[in-house]
Amino acid sequence: MVISRQNRVVVTGLGVLSSIGTGAAEFEAALRAGREGRAQLKAFDTTGFAHSYGCPVRDFDPARWLRRTPPDELSRAAQFAAAASRMAITDANLTDDDLNNAHIAIGTTEGGGHELDQLTAATLANGPEHLDPNLIAKTSAAALSTAVVRELNLATAQSSTIATACAAGNYAIGDAFDAIRYGEAEIALCGGAEAIARKTFTVFYRLGLIAPDHCRPFDIARSGILTAEGAAVLLLETFDSARRRGAKIYAEVLGYGLNCDAALPTAPTRDSVADCMRRALADASVKKDEVDLIVAHGTGTPANDSTEAGAIRDVYGDSPPQATGLKSMLGHAMGAASALGAAAAALAIAHRFVPPTINHRETDPACAIDCVPNQARHAEPRIVQNNAFAFGGNNAVVIMGRHT
Amino acid sequence: MIDITAWSAVSPYGLDATSFAAAVRARRPAMRWADPAGPPGTVASLVPGFDQRALLGRKGTKGMDRVTGLAITAVGALGGAHNRDTALVLGTTGGSVRSAMNLTRASLTAERPYDVDPATIPSVVMNCAAGHCAIWHGITGPNTTIAGGRAAGLLCLAYARRLLRAGRASTVLCGAAEEYSAERSWLARHDTGFVGEGAAMLRLESSHARTAQPLATVLAVGTTADEVLERAGVRADEVWAVIAGSEAERDAVAPLFGSGALERVPLVAELAGDTGAVSAVFGIAAALAVAGDTPRFTVVTAAELAGPAGPSGATAAAVLRVNAAQA
Repeated sequence: MVISRQNRVVVTGLGVLSSIGTGAAEFEAALRAGREGRAQLKAFDTTGFAHSYGCPVRDFDPARWLRRTPPDELSRAAQFAAAASRMAITDANLTDDDLNNAHIAIGTTEGGGHELDQLTAATLANGPEHLDPNLIAKTSAAALSTAVVRELNLATAQSSTIATACAAGNYAIGDAFDAIRYGEAEIALCGGAEAIARKTFTVFYRLGLIAPDHCRPFDIARSGILTAEGAAVLLLETFDSARRRGAKIYAEVLGYGLNCDAALPTAPTRDSVADCMRRALADASVKKDEVDLIVAHGTGTPANDSTEAGAIRDVYGDSPPQATGLKSMLGHAMGAASALGAAAAALAIAHRFVPPTINHRETDPACAIDCVPNQARHAEPRIVQNNAFAFGGNNAVVIMGRHT
Repeated sequence: MIDITAWSAVSPYGLDATSFAAAVRARRPAMRWADPAGPPGTVASLVPGFDQRALLGRKGTKGMDRVTGLAITAVGALGGAHNRDTALVLGTTGGSVRSAMNLTRASLTAERPYDVDPATIPSVVMNCAAGHCAIWHGITGPNTTIAGGRAAGLLCLAYARRLLRAGRASTVLCGAAEEYSAERSWLARHDTGFVGEGAAMLRLESSHARTAQPLATVLAVGTTADEVLERAGVRADEVWAVIAGSEAERDAVAPLFGSGALERVPLVAELAGDTGAVSAVFGIAAALAVAGDTPRFTVVTAAELAGPAGPSGATAAAVLRVNAAQA
């Protein structure tokens, strides 16, 4: 296909809901301080689990953010998606009317999974005959993106919910990037949203992948994830549009790569992960020695971190870039995780710092990378790679850079 | 432009496109069944005799859910060789709702809340079917699941077009899968009294690089019929067939088109039930089945109405030039 013109794509707005802070400024301060979002989970009854730490979003009040959508018609994850979108637009200094014809892509693992858990409990208690139709409606995964459309009153926007599990945020950013780069849209809201659900926690617990105390990516004593929730939505637009309106630019999205392991449903494959990084670098026209920072998938599970570190060395050789594990602070927010990573990358690029991997004591020799242990760094990351690998073998890597 | 160069359908009419095409041409209703475990008054049309372990063999299918089995079968029926430049884009409503609810049920009722069957764990994520299709058929390119309900088929088509345009794949296998279960039927009881299932796939290639004769060309994909007609440069009176996802959608677009166009291709939902994410893909397949050898403009619309009040859905529409029948 003949490509007449490729638009440059820049990030001009960020909306963040996380266990360590709400909004771009609070999120950045927490990343710099190395704050941990850990708490005892209260989203479901944790009786019978030997340990049940996670990283919830505390004191979330949807009414603070939503202007048009009644919060009680949305799942918690859809509330997150709409609220983070509202924040991103405000941060970009735009109004809802500017978003007409926008491209909307929201990634998730569970969609309305927390509400589906409630339906399961209601079915057990009273049979399926009495299920609340409003609760059924809230389980819709599609509603994560249509909640954004509804909240912003965007009759003509194309919206999709991308359900590629723990890589979904990067998938959504990539999709929006293509929509803008090739002229389908001038502006986009993209990212991911996730609410803590019993089912997700149970699955990881059963697989032995929930950390009993802290999440310690790349540490020799790492013992798993802490399930988390939140949302990050990036407002992307063409550089022309940003320049025309004098918008602040956090970063430029340079490209991305997608592939599939086609091997095991619940564990990453080193060669395939490396191939995904190479696809992203090629798409972004970035040479590997130009990458200053990797925002690692870094779940803190034994298998992920050694596989990821190995793949990084396969791609970058014996002196790979520093690679930070944000899940040590944020927990694993599933479909929102890589969107939060991309938001962190944009802030790191714009405001010149490198967020740390906290809770770190001793780097595992099988994860031989500089993981920015415990202390944020003053630095000027110009090009950042954001990794995401999911159940199902779905890999997505996004490359962002300082806009020049 | 992108072309459809092959299609497959695993439907309440059987496992192959031929049986689907014959039934659609004859406007033959599928066999209906009243599931005693489902809501009273609701009927279902299932893929006849479908059992993923019997069909695919016991190796690699332990704990596999039905929607994954249906998707693997539909991708297999598409044929062709796959490599790292082949992408898979699969639409869904919510994956296997049955598997998801079963896992939570086990957690809530077992002696210990984590006594859940590990073999069923992959099935609780919505991208399970697409990931398993990749494993089964060796598809290592981009692998994407879009949760769009009845709009999913067209949202996948739009997504697939972006992948091809950006050069992220040379071929995209694009479609959707949906399983019948009593659980899904209970969740859908306020929308529909007739629940269907199946999987359907389209092979998409860029017009300038296709490896087979096109069965149809995708001219435009967007959110409404008006919009896509304008973008495709096609007038409403040139449209041969309009394929709506439901009677309500058909009524909504009726003023735009003549009744001939509205009646030309039967509504699969009326014959074989609400197939959710597959409905728009079955609609395209139905147009391919009914069209003759003359190129004909076809409009497909789809809407996912989130919630009983239904104000907040996703809508999608596409214009195709259908060239020839296959099955």
